[in-house]
Amino acid sequence: MFKNEEMEINLGPQHPSTHGVLRVKLRLDGETVTHCEPIIGYLHRGVEKICEDKTFFQGQVWTDRMDYVAAISNNLGWAESIEKLFGIEVPRRARYIRTMLTELNRISSHLLWLGTHALDIGAMTVFLYAFREREQILDLFEAFCGARLTTTAFRIGGLREDLPPGFLKQAQAFQDRFLACVDEYETLLTENRIWKKRTVGVAPISAEDCIAYGVTGPVLRAAGVAFDIRKAFPYAAYDEMEFDVPTATAADTYARYQVRVEEMRQSHRIVQQCIDKLPEGPVMAKLPKVLKSEVGEVYHAIEAPKGELGYYLVGEKGSGNPYRFHVRAPSFVNLQALPKMTEGKLLADVIAAIGTLDVVLGEVDR
Amino acid sequence: MNWLKAFNPSDIAGGMKLTGKRFRQVLFTANRRKVPMHFVAEYPEVKVKLAPRYRGRLTMIKDEQGEIKCVCCLACEKICPTQVITIIKGKKEGRKMPFPTRYDFEMERCIFCEFCVESCGFDSIILNHQFELATYNREDFSLGMEGSENMFENSAVGKFSVAE
Repeated sequence: MFKNEEMEINLGPQHPSTHGVLRVKLRLDGETVTHCEPIIGYLHRGVEKICEDKTFFQGQVWTDRMDYVAAISNNLGWAESIEKLFGIEVPRRARYIRTMLTELNRISSHLLWLGTHALDIGAMTVFLYAFREREQILDLFEAFCGARLTTTAFRIGGLREDLPPGFLKQAQAFQDRFLACVDEYETLLTENRIWKKRTVGVAPISAEDCIAYGVTGPVLRAAGVAFDIRKAFPYAAYDEMEFDVPTATAADTYARYQVRVEEMRQSHRIVQQCIDKLPEGPVMAKLPKVLKSEVGEVYHAIEAPKGELGYYLVGEKGSGNPYRFHVRAPSFVNLQALPKMTEGKLLADVIAAIGTLDVVLGEVDR
Repeated sequence: MNWLKAFNPSDIAGGMKLTGKRFRQVLFTANRRKVPMHFVAEYPEVKVKLAPRYRGRLTMIKDEQGEIKCVCCLACEKICPTQVITIIKGKKEGRKMPFPTRYDFEMERCIFCEFCVESCGFDSIILNHQFELATYNREDFSLGMEGSENMFENSAVGKFSVAE
């Protein structure tokens, strides 16, 4: 009879702090969470199955719509996994431009995370500052490929076109003011006592648990494991870039915030190196007219802003589309850790935990 | 000595100072500077400046004689990931190349990826710079051309948008 005092509530699927259509079923004892269960599938479109029906060329437009705040990272993974399947060598200039755009995309994804995460927790000012810089990055994307969000930026074998005239100047203008902007965000948050009260020690997850759940990306690095696919298995032009992998040891929300802010600085460094060292040459490799695959399978992982984004492709002989296509989406895998992070904690910390995992529901449900 | 920090308001003051600085800049210098401090476009009054590569609505191009350039190679129809283009091949008097008697474009499913323009070997279609594409009726999204009537131009869609 006394057990009835436990209350079951639904957080979402239309709650603004769940970053999309995530529904979290919570059982509460007073204000303490005793059971937490994320329920997904509200945005399922069957991307994997659709891509098996489309040609290798066409499939890219669906990867835009998985992690829609980091579409260029998704495009890069798709293009590179197919190049791996066919053994295509991408020209060096194209690899540099890809690296530059992907890093700009990482900055824009982290900026969106920073703005919305701070807004969830109660710091509204940062949202406006973060979106100011994000706007400039989206303008760069628009100048390069004509779209801001669903970019469809790359092609198999390189790029569709070279950089537009004036792009590097525009990118340099962004580079010149960005570091000062990161300092502004830090002024607003890092030492702020309200921010610290809401984040320090909130939603911890140890390195062992991270590895057991398969959690990657900034969440893993904030637990002290310096695992970054850009360093471990370099792709694009990352083997020619100099950058550090920021880590923290506290493994709480505050540590993840620090890791992501530092990652923005490192991305800024990579973009600067790409601008300075951009080689001349073609941007498209020589391709056969029609891509017909051989029997073979390939797994290619890249470091998306959220973690390890892997594409698994199986080729069928003489076929123009993949026989099997699977995405290892970082948001989906990271979301599994939510019950571990929140059970036994307060209800208000669930909001912080969802924010700090940086899930995008388009990628979770696919 | 951690409790002493509670009396030191420098963390809050730093944030307030920054907010005040930005507020002052926007309030006093917004309309006087050549490069304004604010990043927001006053949209319906002031048009947004689009990049030259912007991907808007699909349009057909005419050549110097005012004739539609499309020669029905069906490349755009084949490459389109969402199958929004349907072409019916036909002939026109005084023209060697095939002529589309019907070119259907279902814009409600279009995802503006520009694959069709990329595949076109005759430069007969482009994505123009229209972005205000909302209408009240579903039928208005069915664009295309039939006979000599080019419904791309007469469409009510995007009538408020900037000229090319």
